[in-house]
Amino acid sequence: MNHKLIYKVLIALAVFSLVLSACGTKAGGKIVTFAWTQEPNSLNRSYSSMWYQSALIQVYSCSPWQYNEKNEPYAFMLTELPTISDDGLVATMHLRDDLKWSDGEPITADDFVFTYDMITNPANAVDSVYPYDKFTVSSPDPLTVVMTFADVFTPWMSTIWQGTIMPKHVLQPVFDTAGTIDAAEWNMAPTVGCGPFTFTSWESGSTLRFDRNKKYWETPAKLDAVIFQFVPDDAAQTAACLAGDADVCFWPPYEDIPAFREAGLNVMTEPSGYNEGWFFNLRDMATPFIKDLNVRKAIAMALNREANTDLRLKVVKVTETFWDALPAYVDPGITPWPYDPEAAKALLEASGYVDTDGDGIREDINGNKLTISEGNTTKTERQSYQALAQQQLLAVGIDLKIYSYDSDILFDSFSAGGPAATGIHDIYQWSDVPAFPDPDSSYWLCDQMPSDANPYGFNYFVCDETLDALFKQEVVTSDPAARMTIFHQITRYMHDNVYYLGIWEDGDVWIVNPRITGAKFSGVTPFFNISEWDISK
Amino acid sequence: MAIPNPENPPAAIARIEKTQLTFIQLVWLRFKRHKMAVAGIISLILLVLFAILGTAFTTEAYSNITDTSIRLMPPSHEHPFGTDTVGRDILSRTIYGGQISLMIGLIAMAVEVVVGVLIGAIAGYYGGIIDSLLMRFTEAMFNIPQIPLLLVLGKLLADKVPPLNLFGREFSGSVIVIMVVIGLTSWMGLARIVRANFLSLKEREFVTAAHCIGTRNGPIIFGHILPNTMAPIIVSATLGVANAIISEAYVSFLGVGVRPPTATWGNMLNGAYQYIESAPWLWIFPGILIVLTVLSINFIGDGLRDALDPHSLVESK
Amino acid sequence: MGRYIIRRLLQAIPLLLIISIVIFLLLQSSGDPLATMGGRRTVRPEDRARLARQLGLDKPVYKQYIYWLAGNDWLKIDFDGDGIPETTGTRKGVLRGDFGTSLVSRGKSALSLIGERLPNTLILMIPAEIIMLIFALSIGIYSALRQYTWVDQVVTTGSFIGYSMPIFFIALASMYLFAVNFRKWGLPYLPTVGMFDPKVGKTFGQVVLHMVLPIFSMSVVSVSAYSRYVRSQMLEVNNQDYIRTAHAKGLTDRQVLIGHALKNAAIPIVTLVGIEIPFLLGGAVVTETIFGWPGMGRLFIDHLTRSDTPVVMGILMLISVAVVVCQLITDIVYAWLDPRIRYS
Repeated sequence: MNHKLIYKVLIALAVFSLVLSACGTKAGGKIVTFAWTQEPNSLNRSYSSMWYQSALIQVYSCSPWQYNEKNEPYAFMLTELPTISDDGLVATMHLRDDLKWSDGEPITADDFVFTYDMITNPANAVDSVYPYDKFTVSSPDPLTVVMTFADVFTPWMSTIWQGTIMPKHVLQPVFDTAGTIDAAEWNMAPTVGCGPFTFTSWESGSTLRFDRNKKYWETPAKLDAVIFQFVPDDAAQTAACLAGDADVCFWPPYEDIPAFREAGLNVMTEPSGYNEGWFFNLRDMATPFIKDLNVRKAIAMALNREANTDLRLKVVKVTETFWDALPAYVDPGITPWPYDPEAAKALLEASGYVDTDGDGIREDINGNKLTISEGNTTKTERQSYQALAQQQLLAVGIDLKIYSYDSDILFDSFSAGGPAATGIHDIYQWSDVPAFPDPDSSYWLCDQMPSDANPYGFNYFVCDETLDALFKQEVVTSDPAARMTIFHQITRYMHDNVYYLGIWEDGDVWIVNPRITGAKFSGVTPFFNISEWDISK
Repeated sequence: MAIPNPENPPAAIARIEKTQLTFIQLVWLRFKRHKMAVAGIISLILLVLFAILGTAFTTEAYSNITDTSIRLMPPSHEHPFGTDTVGRDILSRTIYGGQISLMIGLIAMAVEVVVGVLIGAIAGYYGGIIDSLLMRFTEAMFNIPQIPLLLVLGKLLADKVPPLNLFGREFSGSVIVIMVVIGLTSWMGLARIVRANFLSLKEREFVTAAHCIGTRNGPIIFGHILPNTMAPIIVSATLGVANAIISEAYVSFLGVGVRPPTATWGNMLNGAYQYIESAPWLWIFPGILIVLTVLSINFIGDGLRDALDPHSLVESK
Repeated sequence: MGRYIIRRLLQAIPLLLIISIVIFLLLQSSGDPLATMGGRRTVRPEDRARLARQLGLDKPVYKQYIYWLAGNDWLKIDFDGDGIPETTGTRKGVLRGDFGTSLVSRGKSALSLIGERLPNTLILMIPAEIIMLIFALSIGIYSALRQYTWVDQVVTTGSFIGYSMPIFFIALASMYLFAVNFRKWGLPYLPTVGMFDPKVGKTFGQVVLHMVLPIFSMSVVSVSAYSRYVRSQMLEVNNQDYIRTAHAKGLTDRQVLIGHALKNAAIPIVTLVGIEIPFLLGGAVVTETIFGWPGMGRLFIDHLTRSDTPVVMGILMLISVAVVVCQLITDIVYAWLDPRIRYS
């Protein structure tokens, strides 16, 4: 009696599921699906720092100027690119007169001033006020916005107005009633936008859908809708793109790239300013070994960085400096550190590090073993790199101890004992970027050293007077040629002193289904031409 | 007819007395009747031998040697289990990973047994307020689902313990953390059983007699009552090892467990997930080893349960 | 009975309090929610200080717990950073139903986030539990009635293997077979990610289709474990004298089974199921992660790794409350099933 029942149930289930799979017909319309491995935590840029959120800005919002596939800026909402006065303190934007929100209201300078007010208002718990606390804003007429800086701020063009412009007529009432826009519905459901698509729906954990903006102030988009599907991890993302369930994938593991090529998908790379590298910690608490320049030089020569790009199937190139994505700012006279383990060994021998007890690890004259520790995040690729580095350094007699942390623990604050902030390791590896496409960076400023008095400083590396002076100088030098010279000095100095060792260029990698035409990507504003994307039948 | 003399019993009686079995022999006889349990013991011994004797054929350094030129190679002559994403030999990693997984299983079980027995014994023996408090605490811990609690504790402690050196090998601090954390999240069931047994056993005459002659509480608990409640403890301990190995696999799979480069069967499965089709040897070997080990232990535990106390009401889960 | 219920509910209150304190303390020391607010860069010191103040993270731990529990709209806080507390707080606290706003998705309250994901978990778990019960009961009873036949041996061995496998192993194998290989062989294949196909939308057919693989993976483990338990309970009951009497009286096998054996075997099974149900809400974390199911398990792990205390606390407290309530209901059902049990 019982097993007949079981068989019947099983057969019914099987038939049911077969029927259902046939029922899944695809809806009509030109829709592009993106596989997104992280779900944004907000659709208001001021409340989110995730890359996976900022990439969406060009879809449902708009920026005064955008960057094309060569990472060059071009005027978008403005009549021309913004101008700056000779003393570098006053910047002006002239808006076009045909700008409209998706509900028909015009976009004016008032919206920009309102956005500025909301970000800088202490009642709003925005992620960061940078760089809006460096200037004040005013609008002499509805189509002009004037930004007045307190001090010269050279990276202004790559940092301001790159988030979501907030519609004053929608959010001002919210602010007036609640005293803050933290809980505004618009943050999670921006139905009023100014991009080629407008927000339609957000199914938590599943999808984010935007449909064509019918009242778009520019040429209307060719696609009917774009959908972002949230997948749990890289494996699911790869599977989705290979199966054709998703049309576009971002930043897949490099091991999967041959599979994508085999399946006939387009692999497009775009420099984004990010470089993966080793940051050397030369603060007081680091071991004396890492402070020895000869040891650092030996490390640079012991790593077979070229061969290690095997991890990324040799698709990336090895970088030398933090600014390799902006070659104009890099000193052309820098020669890359060669892979020369013999020279590394010779250098260590000459500096007094000899292996006296035959265990393969060198000791200094006092008998202390040459041991160096490295901190890293738990990303699989980084852990693989650590394993390779460990072997390569062991070959020249350096013992590398490896530690991995979740990112929110690695980057924990000084007062909470975060490993990077408290400097307990000698080397840190992660991917980072200057203010791309501007070269400015505050990483090596002496006043950014974390301490009890300054617990949130983020110079986890070194306070070098010469370097500090150079950085302080570049940020106030408005003459581009002079600034470039200063950066040549910076890159040269950091290279010769091995304060930073480049691993590889961490550009954006996009996998695109060939049925999509016209797709281009930018390293700064990824979907800058999404209104021109089309589907070929 | 001669009067029976205890010093020199007649032959028939002597035979009967000689064939009286000790408790251990009785248990073993009943255990042998379960063919699967015996099969479990054999396969477990083989697996343990694999993990221990394997060190005679390969060194730990070898299992960490990376060579990206031979990454993701299928099983071959020099690499019988293939190579992983950075070119490490999977066979030697399963050997050393097996040592760590088994060790985690044993020590987590030890933590679980020690905590569970202590809390159950003290609550059951002293009763009253102590019992109430301890049982409320046990219930509180019991009410929190295990995997989320493991995740929270694992995240909390994972990076706070430094690596240590034992027997000339270096273990990542997360190994210690996982052992302790798994033990600390699975003692509740055992504590309840031990407490229930103590509650009933402490009313028995042999305990009253011990009190009468002035034995202190400690020796009564550990010397008199505890030996009588060994059966459920042994069964729990055995199944606890299996549970610990699986919990470690789950937690490492989610990325919160043992951190590389220390290998365990569990964390070899993390990351192998992407190669479900292209490099199945990455997940098949550690996966099968986990299943075999846990299966053997479950068989053994089942056999022990029937052998030690055929009428026991220890729950199976 | 009424007094028993009230007593149990009252006892539950200190229990829940202890649980909340324990978890709160654990979460405080594990990671910094502000650390990842810089995105791929590190957070600026000024922003960090401001955010800590605005989100209430600069207060000592015990104060943070009190605000979580009882809110802060009964005192003034320093909102604008000038050091003078002059604005009244806005939080009502858990005791009044306000679980706070998520630290990660700062526009949403913890309850609304959980509320969005809870139905998804229930949609997955309730059918899973029903299917699992049906199969476990049928297999267990069948196996007990045919003890020592070859069918019983096969089922026993099969269930041992079933619950010795980690669930992700089963998930991997089933994905490999039913999704990857079925697609290769041109058969209709099952989807492996998410709750529905985005282009088609969240229709009934889509959701059911996407449920098949996750439920299958979960069932293999649960059915194996439960069927063994059912089997051993049935065996124990079958050996009782009253069953023998019933047979002797001339009742058919079926009447004996349904009228006598099942009811008595049901009691411990009910206990087990009753205890398991609230843990469904934890949503099998691993299953949801593998299959990308947008449920509470995934919410938990996503927000735990970003140290989002309000959401994590909300989920765990909800589960604990559910456990307490379910245990109570189980005890009541227990008493109803077995007239010998009476609570004082």
